Amino acid sequence: MFTFSELCELIKLVSDTRIGGIEVEKDGTRVRIDGVPCPPQPDLRFGAPLLPPQFATASQLAAMALPSSDPAAAGGLGGGASAEENGFLFVTSPIVGTFYAAPSPDAEAYVKAGDFVQKGQVLCIVEAMKLMNEIESDVSGVVVRIYPENAQAVEFGERLFAIRPS
Amino acid sequence: MISKVLIANRAEIAVRIIAACREAGLATVSIHSEVDRDSLHVRLADESVCIGPAAANASYLNITAVIAAAEITGADAIHPGYGFLAENAHFAEIVQECGLTWIGPPPDAIRAMGDKANARRTVTARGVPVLPGSSEPLASREDAVAVAEGIGYPVILKATAGGGGKGMRVARDPRELKQVFDTARHEAEKAFGNGDVYLEKYLTAPRHIEIQVLADSHGKVVAFGERECSIQRRHQKLVEEAPSMAVDAELRQRMCDAATEAAAAVGYTSAGTVEFLYDDGQFYFMEMNTRIQVEHPVTEAVTGVDLVLEQLRIAAGLPLSVRRRPHMSGNAIEFRINAEDPVTFAPSPGEITDLALPGGPGVRVDTHIYRGYRIPPNYDSLVAKLIVHGTNRKEAIRRAKRALGMFVIGGVRTSIPLHLRILEEPDFVEGRLSTRFMERFATRE
Repeated sequence: MFTFSELCELIKLVSDTRIGGIEVEKDGTRVRIDGVPCPPQPDLRFGAPLLPPQFATASQLAAMALPSSDPAAAGGLGGGASAEENGFLFVTSPIVGTFYAAPSPDAEAYVKAGDFVQKGQVLCIVEAMKLMNEIESDVSGVVVRIYPENAQAVEFGERLFAIRPS
Repeated sequence: MISKVLIANRAEIAVRIIAACREAGLATVSIHSEVDRDSLHVRLADESVCIGPAAANASYLNITAVIAAAEITGADAIHPGYGFLAENAHFAEIVQECGLTWIGPPPDAIRAMGDKANARRTVTARGVPVLPGSSEPLASREDAVAVAEGIGYPVILKATAGGGGKGMRVARDPRELKQVFDTARHEAEKAFGNGDVYLEKYLTAPRHIEIQVLADSHGKVVAFGERECSIQRRHQKLVEEAPSMAVDAELRQRMCDAATEAAAAVGYTSAGTVEFLYDDGQFYFMEMNTRIQVEHPVTEAVTGVDLVLEQLRIAAGLPLSVRRRPHMSGNAIEFRINAEDPVTFAPSPGEITDLALPGGPGVRVDTHIYRGYRIPPNYDSLVAKLIVHGTNRKEAIRRAKRALGMFVIGGVRTSIPLHLRILEEPDFVEGRLSTRFMERFATRE
């Protein structure tokens, strides 16, 4: 059995080193701790019921720390520009149109969750009136979440990506 | 065929168009800017798309965004309402090129009437009377003075691309004309991106009388009789009524014939309005508005015809449901209620904290406001239109007083008190109206 302090130590290790995760076995008990991209300093002003980051799983964190893709529920965002919140940078759609994750239907997606992107790197395409508008990242960092599905309609100001700046 | 209409507008006219679409059994898509997220037209449409930030040129005037909104929602027709892109021929063309139905006049007709000097030439060729003036844009100050000598002062300079009073200047003598010529050109350049101006004889106290027309794609044009819109402030109409006290059956027929000629001259379809100035027994073509107008409910009240529904029918290729000029029954008056100070006319945006709309016999209110709605400072100040209808003008005025007196809009200042004062004005009660009415009214107060 792991003691509570041992568990805490493991979690701290994963958290501090920001590694993908760790799995250890002791006396027949197996423990797996997933590393997650998490806000370094949760901002409680937004009222999200955040647990200390090291106790949350990736999916829980995504659900809790990242507001929904609905801009109205998220308090409305300035469209076109990226907005920062909870230590994440949100890339929003500068135009109304159709979201494409890849440059062509049979191509690989520009990015997927977990990828590291450079500032200026193309993240997706938003098509309006047959014009393919490449949307670039304003920062370098890790893509934490992609909001729209491929070929989904997006509004002006709608969240496209959450990026944790590095 | 049309099945889903995107309404490229906001506020009361967007709500009005949604109402017509619902009656016609058509699905609706509204578009909105970020600040209009809680607007009534967004709530009432079947679908809604945010197309840009508050600034109109990045949202309601953004052609790419409007078309993209139609594409992602599968709308097959676009109704532009009034203002914004309604009289933009380029937009109308793009709508059609994208395979969508344009619920408005042909782009060429918009263009022909949009250039005011061209419109003058076109209708003159059809025998429609115009004010004496220059038929071409004026090349220079000297050119302007030469034309003015021929027709006599006072004269008015107008922008060929114009409307809404921009680029308009009155001159009483050659010295003044030389002075205002550059100002008018500069103002026109700034407002419309085209500094061309032309010149007309200036009538000192004319009436503004306009004729509503509808034309279908089968060559049928029907004139619906007049609206008098003489009560204006800075070329913005405040009160409109039908019929006009100045128009008898014979004059009405002549004006309707002239309006029909003007519409036919440019191959018009859909709803439009031919505006005339009237003075001392004579009427003169001023311009044609190639859109549904703010004051269209006045004509709806006296004729019983739903003009917006007719626009939908026309766009769908159906013939007009009215074959000849309908009889005008009783009198109708519309009051534009703006969120502005009733004395200083300063805009008064803010939250509607209280709202009670008047109703009862002969009363119609077209509005997009509701309790808790916040009027954004970014757009027009029109918040409601009150339209009263009575069997005669006296009854219409009584109903107007009753309805305005029971109209509660809390949280912002409105023009309701101004309208109540206009209703007490002897010149209004007697029907002695002219476009100078508000100036004189302000002086008397």
